[in-house]
Amino acid sequence: MEVPLSPFEILLIKIAAGFYFGAFVLLLGDILFSRVKHGSLAGVTAGVGGVLVHTLALFIHFTSMGHVALATLREAVSFFSWSLVVSFLYLEHQRKGSLLGILIFPVSFGALLFVLGEGVKSGPAREGAESLLVRLHSILVDLGLASATIAFFLSLLYLLLETFLRKKIFNTLFNRLPSLEFLDRLNREFNGLGFLFLTLGLVFVIIWSYGTFGVLWPWGKRGSWAFLVWFLYLGLVLLRLRKGFQGRQAAYLSIAGFLLFVVTILAVNLFVGGGHSVL
Amino acid sequence: MLRMTLAGVNHKKTPIEVREKLAYPKEHLDEVIRTLNSRDGVLECMVLSTCNRVEIITVTTGSNPDHSFFLDFLKNTHPSLAQVNIAPYLYHLTGEEAIRHFFEVTASLDSMVVGEPQITGQVKEAYDRAKTLGYTGLFLNQLFQRAISASKRVRTETAISHLPVSISYAACQLARKIFQTMDDKNVLLLGGGDMAQLTARHMKKMGVRSLTLMTRDSRKGMALASEYEATYRPFDEIEEALADSDMIVCSTGAEHYLVTTEIAEKSLAKRGRRSMFMIDIAVPRNIDPEVARLGNLFLYNVDDLKAVVESNQKEREFEAHAAGIIISEELQSFARWQENRSSVPLIQALKEHTEKIRQSEIERFQGTFATLPPEAREKIEILTKSLLNKILHPAYQTIRHSPGSEEIWEWTMKCYGLPENALESLPQEKISKDPPVSTPIPFLKGESPA
Repeated sequence: MEVPLSPFEILLIKIAAGFYFGAFVLLLGDILFSRVKHGSLAGVTAGVGGVLVHTLALFIHFTSMGHVALATLREAVSFFSWSLVVSFLYLEHQRKGSLLGILIFPVSFGALLFVLGEGVKSGPAREGAESLLVRLHSILVDLGLASATIAFFLSLLYLLLETFLRKKIFNTLFNRLPSLEFLDRLNREFNGLGFLFLTLGLVFVIIWSYGTFGVLWPWGKRGSWAFLVWFLYLGLVLLRLRKGFQGRQAAYLSIAGFLLFVVTILAVNLFVGGGHSVL
Repeated sequence: MLRMTLAGVNHKKTPIEVREKLAYPKEHLDEVIRTLNSRDGVLECMVLSTCNRVEIITVTTGSNPDHSFFLDFLKNTHPSLAQVNIAPYLYHLTGEEAIRHFFEVTASLDSMVVGEPQITGQVKEAYDRAKTLGYTGLFLNQLFQRAISASKRVRTETAISHLPVSISYAACQLARKIFQTMDDKNVLLLGGGDMAQLTARHMKKMGVRSLTLMTRDSRKGMALASEYEATYRPFDEIEEALADSDMIVCSTGAEHYLVTTEIAEKSLAKRGRRSMFMIDIAVPRNIDPEVARLGNLFLYNVDDLKAVVESNQKEREFEAHAAGIIISEELQSFARWQENRSSVPLIQALKEHTEKIRQSEIERFQGTFATLPPEAREKIEILTKSLLNKILHPAYQTIRHSPGSEEIWEWTMKCYGLPENALESLPQEKISKDPPVSTPIPFLKGESPA
């Protein structure tokens, strides 16, 4: 069942949100004002601080529930926010993409504000929330959404840099952006990763659905939306495999895929019926 | 206390006609420095002479040499300038201002093209020259080391040197914005003009996979291709060559478009619409501007590259503000060194004075100590030294914390009975002085260095 967050969990979420906001401000300040190399270090450090506190909050919550719990929108949003920051920190560590931080941290911060707003709510248990398959489904779809979000941001950066190059705009931001080829390649990788998570997530829910209701695919509103998103991502992945489909076209399709993903999640959770009721 | 003075002319205030007359030819710089060092009161000195600046640096113990000292020196060493009034161009800086200026010059913050690296080398050369001649001492050695350290920090901690300010480098900078790495990229040079050759050199440094050269004159083309380890291809293979190339640098003398939209479109299709970067530095242009409308193709002409250079120059000037913070930090560090330094002679005098007292007391009891075993005598040595250090330690601390304080100075002298000439008897920092050179330097008559 959905239980309110404990005061300590709320405190931890507030601290993590503060860190994420701080990381955003520091990274933005670095891009706009600081001319010092490695100036993004303070922002990244704040991000690491935030993710450590956030991990502790998730750990306490999961321990209190007795398992990894992403059955409610609040839990899913909190985990999504955490996965985004972890992905960013990994990218930053591997390839130095601090510019992505100014897009990711506000989203993670906003997500935690939503979690805090929803923190005191309580309600009945969601359908299938106790099932391991549904839990795995939730985790994978959440990770899929995080990957799609990063691919979306990479697409925005790609289009921005392409505009700068075409319109011959050479400013501070232009100097800070990585190459088009790099952004395009990362975009392809994250879309591929997102598609993999989404597919596995759907496979688990199909197995659960078959075991519970005796049907393979629940063609309700949720099921139809989910199928539409998966189909679009399948198309995107197949198109990317084709020679010549890259750059601007791929960025546009990636943006469309992400928006449809978000609309599906929001529509299904807010309007169709929360949690993981299938039909 | 050692005092630094810097006077000179630079590109900011002084027209080229005057600068070129004031610049010292390299082969005569040794003599110029010798002349400067022979002037009264000058303990250390160096002369920096480049096409954009002539700066004379002196270190003295008494008062700073004034404006007229340097005017006189410049006129003496440039007899041909006797009739030219250089006073309005000459800046004269002392103390912290002079040190800051020297740091800024070394870090290339005062250069015509901010961030250009040559000036640091020129400062190093000027310092080495003065050092070899024996005209640098503790002050200039420390000043130079710190200026170089500040310059390194400016280069590594700011982006001042990362933004290219030449057309050919700007092309490479743009290539890096399109391609992640160049080691898997093919570059095609259309024409063998100077700019194309310069770009080819930069591309080689960037480690491109292959260079292909196309010229109308096959003999010249093949010769150039072998010079740059490139492959030569004839002009009639242009479509295939374009399809194989990620970056194209075009600088032929042709008066029509060599790369039309149709050719570019076909080439793009052949290469699976992978990104292409075209640079057209030819005038009249050799690539149809309409080509830029094609997706995944980026076209830049010479004016666009100039715009990149201008933008980078502005960015460098902006970076210079951050560099100013670094300079201030290094300046503070140097000031601390100077302060500590000013307390050193007094501490040293005090140490020597008290050590003499200790030794005379030991000698007084030499007869008594002679009967003691060597270990006991050694222990007495250690004990007396340690006792002296412990008693004097608070005095050393007080002197260190109040550098240059007249009151502390007087108090120490009276309290410990230091003789008036205690400091004079210390070893001199100054290097030997050459006999004065009183006559103008003959070599410069009517000569103007390149």
